[in-house]
Amino acid sequence: MSLLAIILLPFLGSLCAAFMPANARNVEAWLAGTAALATTVLVASLYGDIQAEGVLRASVPWAPSLGLEFSLRMDGFAWVFALLVAAMGTLVVLYARYYMSPEDPVPRFFSFFLAFMGAMLGVVLSGNLIQLAMFWELTSLASFMLIAYWNHRVDARRGARMALTVTATGGLALLAGMLILGHIAGSYDLDVVLQAGDTIRAHAWYPAALALVVLGALTKSAQFPFHFWLPHAMAAPTPVSAYLHSATMVKAGVFLLARLWPVLAGTEAWFWIVGSAGLLSLVVGAYLALFQRDMKGVLAYSTISHLGLITLLLGMNSPLALVAAVFHIINHATFKASLFMAAGIVDHETGTRDMTRLSGLYRAMPITATLALVAAASMAGVPLLNGFLSKEMFFAETVFIDRPDFQRLGLPMAATLAGMFSVAYSLRFIHCVFFGRPARDLPRAPHEPPGWMLAPSALLVFACLLVGMFPAHTIGPFLAVATQSILGASTPEYSLAIWHGFNLPLMMSLAALAGGIVLYQLLLRRRADTVPLLERLDGKRAFDFVQTALSTGSERLLRILVSRRLQVQLLLIVVFALAAVLLPLTADRAGWTLASPGLPDPAFALLWLVGGACALGTAYKAKRHRLAALVLSGGTGLATCLTFAWFSAPDLALTQLTVEVVTVVLLLLGLRWLPRRNDASAPDIPTSTRLRRWRDRSIALLAGGGLGSLAYIVLTRPAGEGISPFFLEQALPLGGGLNVVNVILVDFRGFDTLGEITVLGIVALTVYALLRRFRPAPESMELTQQQQEHSAPPPDTDAVLPPGPMAVPAVLVRLLMPLALLVSLYFLLRGHNAPGGGFVGGLVLATTVILQYIVGGTVWVESRSRLHPPHWIALGLLAAAAAGCGAWLASLPFLTSLAWHGSLPLVGELHISTVLLFDIGVYMLVVGATVLMLVALAHQSLRAHHRKPARAGEE
Amino acid sequence: MNFVVPDFYPAAAEIFVAIMALVVMLASTFARGVRWLAYALTQFTLIAAAFVTIYTLKGDVSYTFSNLFIGDLLGDLLKLLIYFSMAIALLYGRGYLADRNIDKPEYYVLALLMTLGMMVMVTANHMLPLYIGLEMMSLGLYAMVAFDRDSARSTEAGMKYFVLGALASGLLLYGMSMIYGATGSLEFSGIANAVYHQAANKTVLLFGIVFLMAGISFKLGVVPFHMWVPDVYQGAPSAVTLIIATAPKLAAFAMAVRLLIWGLFDVAEQWQSMLMFVAVLSIILGNLAAIAQTNLKRMLAYSGISHMGFMLLGLLSGVVEGDRHYALNAYSSAMFYAVSYVIMSLASFGMIILLSRAGFEADSIDDFKGLNKRSPWFAAMMMFVMFSMAGIPFFIGFFAKLSVLQAVVAAGYLWIAIIAVVMSVIGAFYYLRVVKVMYFDPPVDPAPIHAPAELRVLLSANGLAIAALGLAPQALMSVCAYALLASL
Repeated sequence: MSLLAIILLPFLGSLCAAFMPANARNVEAWLAGTAALATTVLVASLYGDIQAEGVLRASVPWAPSLGLEFSLRMDGFAWVFALLVAAMGTLVVLYARYYMSPEDPVPRFFSFFLAFMGAMLGVVLSGNLIQLAMFWELTSLASFMLIAYWNHRVDARRGARMALTVTATGGLALLAGMLILGHIAGSYDLDVVLQAGDTIRAHAWYPAALALVVLGALTKSAQFPFHFWLPHAMAAPTPVSAYLHSATMVKAGVFLLARLWPVLAGTEAWFWIVGSAGLLSLVVGAYLALFQRDMKGVLAYSTISHLGLITLLLGMNSPLALVAAVFHIINHATFKASLFMAAGIVDHETGTRDMTRLSGLYRAMPITATLALVAAASMAGVPLLNGFLSKEMFFAETVFIDRPDFQRLGLPMAATLAGMFSVAYSLRFIHCVFFGRPARDLPRAPHEPPGWMLAPSALLVFACLLVGMFPAHTIGPFLAVATQSILGASTPEYSLAIWHGFNLPLMMSLAALAGGIVLYQLLLRRRADTVPLLERLDGKRAFDFVQTALSTGSERLLRILVSRRLQVQLLLIVVFALAAVLLPLTADRAGWTLASPGLPDPAFALLWLVGGACALGTAYKAKRHRLAALVLSGGTGLATCLTFAWFSAPDLALTQLTVEVVTVVLLLLGLRWLPRRNDASAPDIPTSTRLRRWRDRSIALLAGGGLGSLAYIVLTRPAGEGISPFFLEQALPLGGGLNVVNVILVDFRGFDTLGEITVLGIVALTVYALLRRFRPAPESMELTQQQQEHSAPPPDTDAVLPPGPMAVPAVLVRLLMPLALLVSLYFLLRGHNAPGGGFVGGLVLATTVILQYIVGGTVWVESRSRLHPPHWIALGLLAAAAAGCGAWLASLPFLTSLAWHGSLPLVGELHISTVLLFDIGVYMLVVGATVLMLVALAHQSLRAHHRKPARAGEE
Repeated sequence: MNFVVPDFYPAAAEIFVAIMALVVMLASTFARGVRWLAYALTQFTLIAAAFVTIYTLKGDVSYTFSNLFIGDLLGDLLKLLIYFSMAIALLYGRGYLADRNIDKPEYYVLALLMTLGMMVMVTANHMLPLYIGLEMMSLGLYAMVAFDRDSARSTEAGMKYFVLGALASGLLLYGMSMIYGATGSLEFSGIANAVYHQAANKTVLLFGIVFLMAGISFKLGVVPFHMWVPDVYQGAPSAVTLIIATAPKLAAFAMAVRLLIWGLFDVAEQWQSMLMFVAVLSIILGNLAAIAQTNLKRMLAYSGISHMGFMLLGLLSGVVEGDRHYALNAYSSAMFYAVSYVIMSLASFGMIILLSRAGFEADSIDDFKGLNKRSPWFAAMMMFVMFSMAGIPFFIGFFAKLSVLQAVVAAGYLWIAIIAVVMSVIGAFYYLRVVKVMYFDPPVDPAPIHAPAELRVLLSANGLAIAALGLAPQALMSVCAYALLASL
């Protein structure tokens, strides 16, 4: 329970802090301080339990279907870290109370500060890999908010973004690594994973998991080559740097490496990846620290270097090195935090951190200077301070490492070199700022800060001294607990004494001290402001480069891949579909034989030749000459119609014929209102256009040919048992008709037909309604050329016949009318047994009506017409519905056909069924709908005469 | 052939919505003056339909309409989510439509019919109703995209959507006919049966699967059939974009699940390899292309492409070398992803609507500049959404990503997991850019935000839900898993 409280306390504090007024500085500080202190006390109080039980656990079910539970696990190592996080947090809150100026909105600061603390404790105490990765990301987010705290400053925003981008990226990599580890181990539970070290190292995915986890750790700990974000993060308020960039967040990376050390370490890959990153960071960081002007810059690079040292130790695959690493984690936190606080005090009191402007502050602030001096000495590795102890252990490890020769020589030399740099920059840090002539042109007159602001720093320095002088009595037991929990039974023997005799590591330390002093003397003579040798090594530039490369790369990608043009999009879809279809073709070609179609009858072949020619002509003429295209499409339809007839489907042929006629008329009427085509038929088409057309043509051919042959193949395969035999057999017995198609339409599928004719009626009304509000393009509003030339007088409605040559067709068409009516009725009545039916009949009648319109003229016809298309539609629907409902009278389901068969005097044998009524409904509706649509279209041409809304049909 | 009266009970919700769509149409025709009527009736319909669905909810699977219709928990859950997201989307969009004077009753009729289409898709047990539902949904959407008739953009988007959508429908239909040719059945269980007994012609079946995949990919908006997504998202009125980006994704998910898992589970490895291609390309292209966008709607469109790719990761890791041990887990992770995406999408497009006013579309990323100064609360909500979409922990998006990645790793596709992670990193880049703009840049227009109270309240609830579900994701996850388990 207290484990949960440790996590929850900072978050609750954060929530409270967020909702406080902006000016409640003291209350905020008290709140944050209390929360941090309480957490510290809680953590400290668990020491006894840790010693007794080894591992404390607490868990709450969370997302079991993902194999996740919110579990907390505290062992010795986690305890030490948690104590570090909590105690350091308390000290920094105290420091921050005096550091933040009254104008700063402190609620935000303390809220994020506590949230960060909670997240960090979460990382440390997670008993579950995924949960650890989640808290890990949360620390990145909180640190982003803290670095960007002064968000009016450009450097703060940039630094924050960079830190977030790098660490959050690493965090995602870590998540992937954790997923893999969990997959290999079979559980995300830390205990299980820690036990599964051998399985994991032997698994094929080990390299991937290692790379991903190490990537996460290195980015977080600002290790080479991802170190560049840390110096830019120095734009954060100094308490943030003291907390995040010395003691906690950057330590998360090495914490993780140590945490997973039993699982991942021990292989060559681990040695090379972790070790070399550590070594490079150690040397490069120390070297770069020499040349910084900003006090915090020196500290940032020094942090990189010291974390490199820890990483290197962890990478050495030796338990003793691990002990040294854990020890150095603690030591580094104490002296580095204290130095950050000193830098903050200097900044706070003088208004600058520029080391070229600062000088001789010892006189103005002796206590600060003394504290900084001791802490810097610890950083440099001066004996009797804690930094010296862990550095000695590190030197010893480099000397005694069990590796091939060149590594055994190279490592100690590199370590000594880094030690030298470290001495030199520590010296510079102290000497430059606190000694020498007093500075003159400082923004503020320097003086000692309030006592409480010095207290945290003093406490840390005191710890440095205490640990440095009596290591075995102060830090000894804690270190033992921590290392024991990682290494278990294989914890090596080590001694925490100051004096190990006059040995090689001590020689190295002395050499580093002497060399560092000499180096500093040399450095003093230098005037140039640049970094020699590594001038061009700038991670920030690489980072910016990656950012811009991503953006420009993305834009280029878009330019190549993305088009907003519909044609291109269509083309791509077709091409992709084509490519996808090739997939199964390449996989398996069994059973793909093209059945030979056999030689067709020459007449039939000729028919299809004509039909095909018409179709091609339609497509070709569609752009240049619409009327010709329309006529040709009629030809295709005719060929289809004849094909039906050829294959003994007279019913289909008849239907096709009438539909074809009506369609052509419909299109003909619509042609007039299409926008004028662009006549600029430029004779010289550019080559690119030609190429594009060829490309499109070949793709079209390929796709069409493929589809056609596929359809052919499928069609020529033996067909499965369909439903057609049922209809053929049962049409007469069940439907009482010989015309199967008609029986299907009006009986078997009567309900469908009812639905369809309803739709047809609605469509007709919609077309009518839409055309009433139709606004044609202005250029098609004027009279056609022919009409203008002949300047036809307004039609005379009283005249019997139109004047001129139109009289002949007018007479013919009028004669046609009763004949057509008769034929249509004939089709309707015989439909049930022979080709015909309501649909065909209706279309025939509609065609004659529209012929009257075409030849006689709209005005003339309508002055005499008694035809009310909407009434026909309504009556048709009613009739069909009545036929359906009639079945109810015989307690049969809707639309069941009832038939009466008998003989009447005079008429003879008669077969009457409700189906006839239904078919009459279809007939009437088709007539009404077709006429209504065509007439509405025809009325459009009246516009030019009247310039007023057309009065289509009968209203 | 005896006439059997079908059992209407399982389809009560569909019937109710169909009737109500007609009622809304007639009511708004005869009461043209009452502007709120269509909207109110539509919302009533959606809420009442939810009650009908809950009331008719059954634990077991039932079939009706000659096995054309399946009533199962998966369908019911998805239907509930569809009502929910439609209701919220209509609520968000109402003020927006009114500002542009396009809040016509027809809009709501179309929305209801579209909802009906989605419901039919979700409960189809047969290719035909599936296709009918799909067309019903799509036709409604085409019209809604072009609803702002005076805007050239909107009309163009509608036209494009229609032409491309028709082509894709054609491909899907072609695929269905191929599947029918291979298996002799249009009913999913019949298809599954034929495939199981290896009675189906393998090549024809593969052809069919390819075309089905093309159709599904188009409706989900994934590479290589994604071209319409950015154009339509940007061109459509934001209120319609909001609808396109939410409920139809659930319906498309249902379509994919019914076709692939109900029908073609036994050839899972065939379609999984196709899905792999589609998913990985979508994740890569969606994320890379989103970086260069300056228009937020386009950015979200590309991000949506990548999100759908992620969702497919769950679908493609069900069966590994014949081992179906992980299937349920994988499919429920995909479903969870789809649901979380819908929740996040609602909030993100809701924010665009919130910031838009009459005559002004807040669809550029620059329009979010300095939002923190104008309204810290909604800046925080937008930040939640962006973080969640980026997959940052303790938001729902993180768990969605986590669960599909887990499925992918469990299936042994290490390389896919790594590509997905690398691409989420790149994704985080553009989501965080929005956050940066909101918090760090000075506002272009410092005016405070004016929006109807209900929009503010619901959007806040939506944003908070993203955070709350991130803290306690288990309930939603178990519901998804349970619905799949009970329906399979």
